[in-house]
Amino acid sequence: MTGPRGGTLRLGARAFGPRQLLVMAIVNRTPDSFYDRGASWDAGAAMERVRTVVAEGADIVDIGGVPAAPGAEVTVAEEIRRTVPFVAAVRGAFPEAVISVDTWRHQVARELCAAGADLINDSWGGWDERLPEVAAESGAGLVCSHAGGLPPRTRPYRAEYDNVMASVLQRTLALADRAVAAGVDPSRVLIDPAHDFGKNTWHSLEVTRRLGEMVAAGWPVLISVSHKDFIGETLNAGRDQRLAGTLAATAVCAWLGARVFRAHQVTQTRQVLDMVAAIRGDLAPARAVRGLV
Amino acid sequence: MIIGAAVCPAAPLLAAEVTGREPVLPELRQACAAAVKRLAGTGPERVAVIGAGQQTATWPSSGRLDLAMFAPMLGRREPAVPRPLGLGARLLDEAGYGGPRLLQSVGADDPGAACVALGAELARRSGRAAMLVMADGSARRSPRAPGHFDPRAAAFDAELERAVRDGKPGALRDLDESLARELLAEGRPAWQVLAGAMPGPVPSAEVLYADAPFGVCYLVAWLS
Repeated sequence: MTGPRGGTLRLGARAFGPRQLLVMAIVNRTPDSFYDRGASWDAGAAMERVRTVVAEGADIVDIGGVPAAPGAEVTVAEEIRRTVPFVAAVRGAFPEAVISVDTWRHQVARELCAAGADLINDSWGGWDERLPEVAAESGAGLVCSHAGGLPPRTRPYRAEYDNVMASVLQRTLALADRAVAAGVDPSRVLIDPAHDFGKNTWHSLEVTRRLGEMVAAGWPVLISVSHKDFIGETLNAGRDQRLAGTLAATAVCAWLGARVFRAHQVTQTRQVLDMVAAIRGDLAPARAVRGLV
Repeated sequence: MIIGAAVCPAAPLLAAEVTGREPVLPELRQACAAAVKRLAGTGPERVAVIGAGQQTATWPSSGRLDLAMFAPMLGRREPAVPRPLGLGARLLDEAGYGGPRLLQSVGADDPGAACVALGAELARRSGRAAMLVMADGSARRSPRAPGHFDPRAAAFDAELERAVRDGKPGALRDLDESLARELLAEGRPAWQVLAGAMPGPVPSAEVLYADAPFGVCYLVAWLS
């Protein structure tokens, strides 16, 4: 089934039109995430990070307690301990904020939604088949992503696709259908090609180039490219040298119709999205006098 | 007869849409609105909008500013008229003036005498008419001006401002055409139409704005 083409995206109490470009700011409650290396592991630092990204204009905060990369096991109880009190605190401090939670486990998602989460960002592509029922029962939204069938926290090893975009479409659209069938509000369902997840660099470049095919499927498209390995490999750039590549990929995806952009750098991402929106004709320049005086 | 004349610059930035989300020179826009409000308040039987164009011509009175010339995304307004006239028509619309209007362009290269004669001819027409002159001064007042800095620009603009402030628009009948061209003072022929239409001193002259914030001389005035 195709999604509600060009429709309103609802997150929490907010409604976003089809031409709005949204920044989803990454807030890690992990000691070892790849990019920030635990910068907001401390709860105080994490809350400060939320304060900062909200002030910078983030539309959504995405809170996660388990890094995507393989590493020391984080149990359900530990993930709950890391994220649930924090989400409750963010909900209390920012009643208007849209809170997304980055988890693949339905037990954790249930606690997080009870604590105030508005969106379940399932980066691992429906590994836990009970996530849709949790979203449905709590009224939350769900991100349906493509991880190439990999188990959570594993890396692609010689991943092969006859047609990677066909695989992405097949998986994400099936997950979206499953979510709606489980009772998730269709206006709260997004799809995400999940760059790097179950993909080599060529695959991630391909899904970026062909993102328009996902957009054409009708569901709002979320992209998560910030500082990822496909950018590092493409540019031969280390982890702290990937901002330009991140923003370039962001601009291309925005131009091709993605609506939500998961990002570490809110200000720069916002500027890129505003620039794309202005080029598209959706946003007037802030102040234009050159040649008009 | 001409019962009064408002003067406003022919700057595209008067159209708020083209300058984007933040207000640009709101005081200039307010001054223009105030001058045109005075004009409309005199109850003219007709308003003649005067502005420079490629040639001297009368345009359909339904003519409006074509914003797409400056901001293609903002769409087209038909029938489009030369920018100074479109801006003037827009000021009349914003002031709520719905009476008869004459949109009259005057050729950018027309000699001064022809411009003065056109103004005199317009003034001879029957009925109580007001004039909206869309003209500015030089565009070379500062290093950041569209035409960069020209040391002669300030004196040229001072002559315009003095004529308006003293209520003696007739003093502009002999504006130096080649100097005006060099100073990018595209309003020169419109100023000379005003000089022809109001050759003698006017009883009341009020300058509502006189500045060159972008290196272009803007004058807003009401003469009656």
